[in-house]
Amino acid sequence: MLIYKKKDSLIYELHPVTTVSFIAAITLLALIFSHPVYLLGLLLAVGMAVAAAEITREWFYYLRFSLGMMAVIIIVNTIFVQAGTTVVFSGPRIPGLGRVKVTMEALLFSIAMGIRLVVAMSAFCLYTYAVNPDKVLKLFGRFGNRSILTAIMAARLFPLMIKDFKRIVEVYRCRGVKLNTGSWLQRSKNILPVMNVLLLSCLERSFQLAESLWIKGYGSGKRTFYNRDLWRPRDFIVVFSVLISLIIGIWAAIKGWASYTYYPRVESFNLGEIKLAVFLTFILIVPAVLNWGWKRWPLLKSKI
Amino acid sequence: MSWAVLSMIILGFALLSFFWRFEKRDVSPKEIALISTMASMAAISRVLFAAIMNVQPTTFVVMITGYVFGPHTGFVVGAIAALVSNFFLGQGPWTPWQMFSWGMCGVSAGLLAGIQKGFKPGRFTVLAGLWGYVFGWIMNIWHWTAFVYPLNWKTFVATYAASFPFDTLHAAGNVVFALIFGQSFYYTLSRFRKKISVKYIDDLS
Repeated sequence: MLIYKKKDSLIYELHPVTTVSFIAAITLLALIFSHPVYLLGLLLAVGMAVAAAEITREWFYYLRFSLGMMAVIIIVNTIFVQAGTTVVFSGPRIPGLGRVKVTMEALLFSIAMGIRLVVAMSAFCLYTYAVNPDKVLKLFGRFGNRSILTAIMAARLFPLMIKDFKRIVEVYRCRGVKLNTGSWLQRSKNILPVMNVLLLSCLERSFQLAESLWIKGYGSGKRTFYNRDLWRPRDFIVVFSVLISLIIGIWAAIKGWASYTYYPRVESFNLGEIKLAVFLTFILIVPAVLNWGWKRWPLLKSKI
Repeated sequence: MSWAVLSMIILGFALLSFFWRFEKRDVSPKEIALISTMASMAAISRVLFAAIMNVQPTTFVVMITGYVFGPHTGFVVGAIAALVSNFFLGQGPWTPWQMFSWGMCGVSAGLLAGIQKGFKPGRFTVLAGLWGYVFGWIMNIWHWTAFVYPLNWKTFVATYAASFPFDTLHAAGNVVFALIFGQSFYYTLSRFRKKISVKYIDDLS
């Protein structure tokens, strides 16, 4: 039932720490940068990683979902912020707001923030579809035994409970209870016993779970760990590129190169800043480039 | 430092502090099994109602668990329900915020149970309705700090006004679920709590 599905791509063959660090770096840099060229660079890098992971169709679902959020960003920034100077549209006077003025600066800022949102959404899309959640949870098991065990068990119970729900609904239907027809109130009344039975059945199962935990020796001593994920040369290459990009990104942010002045008037682009953004993008597309080589040259595949 | 990054750091610390307390507590296998079961149930209820935007019984399930089993259990159930349901619905920048918000739903219900005896549907329903809005307000923080500039009262009110219809739907859903399922879930869970509570008596003489 998990929406993660393994595919034939290098992205799925990376150590979970490597993929998570790449995604975290992209998200962090997106939140730090406000310069449109830097944000576009991040978008290109994450887009290439998404394409390398062969999840472009799922990515489009994510982008479609972000349209609503993007609309709010555009409305709030263009209508409620009057800090720009280049007026492109002057609207009616609204009580409490004054005359609505849409400025070029506010529009550009909205577009840049839209790109930031798309970058963050794309990074999480990559996390959802290309990273095995079990492996990520197990990574943290070392630090939070109980929390991770609880989360893993909850994820395991999920499909079982869906089955339970379907089974209970079928039983009730066989008894003549109408769950899909009738008024909203009638259907709500009919679903009440289904939910109660589901709750009872889930609680009974939790007893069995507790018993098996007890039998397997939960809490009897210190927990041991066994990790089957190996660190391979490809992980070192990607982690190294992530570290370099983080150092460059943070350095650019400290120097003020990654930020951009939108208000009161947009500033011109500096060639030096753009060069750094291009360099940063080249570093961040390493996973996508490696995947390309991994598929093309069997020798490279065997070496990394 | 960017306000969005700062808000994420504060949120991360808040989540870590709750989970750290959970790790340090003496938790029995029965409790672990119960928390994972209720978290899974809350997550399922979110997926089953995913088609109706913002009307999901998750908040109610988390709150009633917190009400019966206490604020700590309520928090862990809420946080894990958000994480696990997103394995199936899709993770996003919203995941840590949902974990915190649903966790706090459980905490507040647990605290309400501490100041009253038994189950009072009226107060519980009001709290559930309030959480429909508070949940949205917490979720809006990230949106406001990350994508809006300048951060002033005007943009704050505009961002929060945009979420108002969705928050109202969430609140209405919570109220309906609390009214329909509140009493029966409370009795079932309370009976179960008694079943799993074990008191060891050292000296029988």
